[in-house]
Amino acid sequence: MRAGRQSFFAEHPIYLRSSYTIVGPKEGDGNFGDRFDTVLPDDLWGERSYEKAESKMHREAVRGAVCLAGCDADGIDVCLAGDLLNEISASGLAMRYFKSPFLGLYNACATFAEAVIVGSALIDCGMARTAACSSSSHFASAERQYRYPLELGNQRTPTSQWTVTGAGCSVLSSVRPTTEDDEECRTHFKEKMKAMRDECMRAASAEDSECGKGGGIENPFAKRGGDALERMKHKLLRTLRPASLIEPDCDLAYRRTHIVKITGGTLGKVTDFGIDDESNMGGAMAPAAADTLIAHLEDTGRTPGYYDAIVTGDLGRFGTEAFCYLLSKEGITLDNHFDCGAGFFKPEQKTFQGGSGAGCVNVVFNGHIAKRMERGELGRVLVIATGALLNKDTPLQKENIPGIAHAFTAESEPYV
Amino acid sequence: MTDKAEYRAFVKRNSPKSPMWRSLFAAFVVGGLICMAGEGVHDAISALFPALPDEDVGSWTTVVMIFVGAFLTAIGVYDKIGRVAGGGSIIPITGFANSVVSPALEYNREGVFFGICAKMFVIAGPIIVFGIVAGILVGVLGLIG
Amino acid sequence: MSVFLTYLKVFAVGGGLCALGQLLINKTEMSSARILVTFMLLGLVLEVAGVFDAIKEFASSGVTVPITGFGSAIAKGALEGGREGGLLGAVSGGLKAAAPGVSAVILFGFLFALVFRSRSKKI
Repeated sequence: MRAGRQSFFAEHPIYLRSSYTIVGPKEGDGNFGDRFDTVLPDDLWGERSYEKAESKMHREAVRGAVCLAGCDADGIDVCLAGDLLNEISASGLAMRYFKSPFLGLYNACATFAEAVIVGSALIDCGMARTAACSSSSHFASAERQYRYPLELGNQRTPTSQWTVTGAGCSVLSSVRPTTEDDEECRTHFKEKMKAMRDECMRAASAEDSECGKGGGIENPFAKRGGDALERMKHKLLRTLRPASLIEPDCDLAYRRTHIVKITGGTLGKVTDFGIDDESNMGGAMAPAAADTLIAHLEDTGRTPGYYDAIVTGDLGRFGTEAFCYLLSKEGITLDNHFDCGAGFFKPEQKTFQGGSGAGCVNVVFNGHIAKRMERGELGRVLVIATGALLNKDTPLQKENIPGIAHAFTAESEPYV
Repeated sequence: MTDKAEYRAFVKRNSPKSPMWRSLFAAFVVGGLICMAGEGVHDAISALFPALPDEDVGSWTTVVMIFVGAFLTAIGVYDKIGRVAGGGSIIPITGFANSVVSPALEYNREGVFFGICAKMFVIAGPIIVFGIVAGILVGVLGLIG
Repeated sequence: MSVFLTYLKVFAVGGGLCALGQLLINKTEMSSARILVTFMLLGLVLEVAGVFDAIKEFASSGVTVPITGFGSAIAKGALEGGREGGLLGAVSGGLKAAAPGVSAVILFGFLFALVFRSRSKKI
């Protein structure tokens, strides 16, 4: 149901059926390191390039969330996914393994909120019963795409942020899960993952792979027509660096006492305040976040105090400062605000402004915020994911960097 | 919403700045050390090959320094020096090597042809172009003048 | 003692040039390619103005190891080429002087890119 200019409320209950997160090693050392389902010891994950690794992380996050939701390979009605690579290739390549329709989304680092909003809308209107909303980003692939080669010896400016290596997926559903479902899915997670891999991935790779037995896309080093050398390399990797080929995992003992519902959201406008420094994303995105928050409060008639937490995506430390400055000009002060990017890394990890990227707000929401809601620690949460809309060429063409921010609201209620 | 110009002024005023003296000091020390290493290489070459004319010694020094810069880039050390030293590791000729080798390494996954060879000069291209064009200008003006 | 003094001069002048570059980076947020071009052109101008040799006499590698040395070599090559080979020499002299450096960087870049890979960073 539409509310005001930019907002909507869900008319039917939309449940967060499951969530799954995979992050890289640096993220595992960060503040939320112990909240993620899988922490990779090596962010190449046995792949031949960081782009492939990102796609694999994306794929595995979706697979993990689908298995935790207790769905079969064809049980997801629609996959909504996006990432930061050119033409969202990490998502597109990951989605070839699933037998579900796929809608590709891009709103830079706000992609996750966009996916949740679109997924909620599709479920609310009855077009889908389950939707998998995912996004990913990878430090090494984003550096090459937006900045410089990894080995270039330049200095990062103090306003810069660190792209989070991570992928996460939330499965939204119109069906309310039960504690028995949860227990069933958790205990049989490993078998389910394996069954799904055999069903989707082996099948997909067997059809177009010429390397025959033992090959296929699951084999990290096998390419089309991969030869004995490639297979040998893979075998070598398995023995020398087994950590680089670890399987996605989950906490079998985890049980939730509350269930999270998506109750509505606010769609953001593109906001251009004339910031043109591509190393200062926080400054470029803060106006969009403030704009969306103000629109949300106006449309819904709520006050910031209505929420137990207002979570912004990846404004970073300076971006948070700018966000609060803009809000104070409007007479709004927040005492329940938390920025995923600013809180992501520890100060000694030297990331200057903190984390950013399409995976940042995703893994913090799925790994930390949703878990806290599921324990009943947080009741009502407003998540505002922020994105900076640029590519490598627009700053060279003297374009400004506009920002975008989408918000969704989540509420938790006890399992009865 | 707030006035855009006012917001830009806020951003300009409040954005965190580089620590000026510390970065200058790091650049000075590392840059100085790299130049001293170059002088060492120069002296070693002229001691080993006393017959070599001074200009050739200079050229060989350049080649050796480029090799060192390229190798440190390839094994993933040069960018760590660069994080600390900034200008101190950019301006020496080793930094030039770094700016050529780092994209070559970065794009080797796209293959030799369109990866390594095509992308090798994405950063250092301007240096070659400016150098050659300026050289031609100097040469021609030198003929006239 | 004189060797020690030479190295001290190299350190001071080379470090000074680099600190000057860092000052430019801090003040103007120039990218590394712009810094390199600026300093190469600085070396070229100093050579044309005829003061580079005097600085080189004083600081040796302190001014030739930085990219200024590359610029001065190009200018010197172009001027010499013009004196010896007329127009063709003037046009090709700069590139000829730059050839050892450029060849080395292409060769090593190509070879290392075949063998090594760039790695993800933790800091």
